[in-house]
Amino acid sequence: MQSTMESPRMMTVETSRFGEVTFAETDLFEFPWGLPGFADQRRFLALSLAEQPSFIWLQSVDDPKLALPVADPWQIFPDYEPRMPAYATEALDVRGAEDFTILCVVVVTKDAEEMTMNLMAPVIINLKTRRARQVMLENSPYSVRTVIPRKHLEAQGTAQPA
Amino acid sequence: MLVLSRKVNQSIMVGDNVRVVVVAVDRDQVKLGIEAPREIAVHRSEIYEEIQRSNRSAAAAGAPVAAGAPVVTRAALQPRKKSQKPAKKSE
Repeated sequence: MQSTMESPRMMTVETSRFGEVTFAETDLFEFPWGLPGFADQRRFLALSLAEQPSFIWLQSVDDPKLALPVADPWQIFPDYEPRMPAYATEALDVRGAEDFTILCVVVVTKDAEEMTMNLMAPVIINLKTRRARQVMLENSPYSVRTVIPRKHLEAQGTAQPA
Repeated sequence: MLVLSRKVNQSIMVGDNVRVVVVAVDRDQVKLGIEAPREIAVHRSEIYEEIQRSNRSAAAAGAPVAAGAPVVTRAALQPRKKSQKPAKKSE
């Protein structure tokens, strides 16, 4: 970690899935517009398990029960080409590629038999300002429920344990 | 819900920054124009509702199989590289 003028404030949240998580205030991401379905939620952490580094959970710090699984879409769909609407680039003040990253929400069916990824509404994160927003690519060919090929399920380690 | 009647070319102000204009009416279809600041998202309702449902399904996922393993607080995510695709021949 880079040294800072002063140490960031450490905080904890007692999450329902991961138990107590300790983090620095500077680890937080702010969602000024919340997320569709959770319009009031503002502050999130990006968590992952040490053994599943590609599977990220956006954990709310204000609602300990709320966490959304997300992942890098290009790991699974290398040709993904989302065209950002003006409200995304402007609202998040994104300029160059080094400013932002994109994650897509993953839905796991309850028996973990199938996973789908929402390529139609990616989450854009401005890495400099740490503000984020889920945007809807309404006129794109992408689907809210894009099926993730089985080989990725095993790689993610979310398939049933042997 | 506030219901207003408008004729073609008439409009409605929503708050101070959003204008909804009736552009055309053709039998059972209304064409609406929306003028809003660029940072405001404008979408068909059913799209928005579909994303809501999808997010809520995603959030219903329980603890991951490997729960109990150490949790990493990902302070820094990797920036998106400018282009992941191989260079194409110029046309």
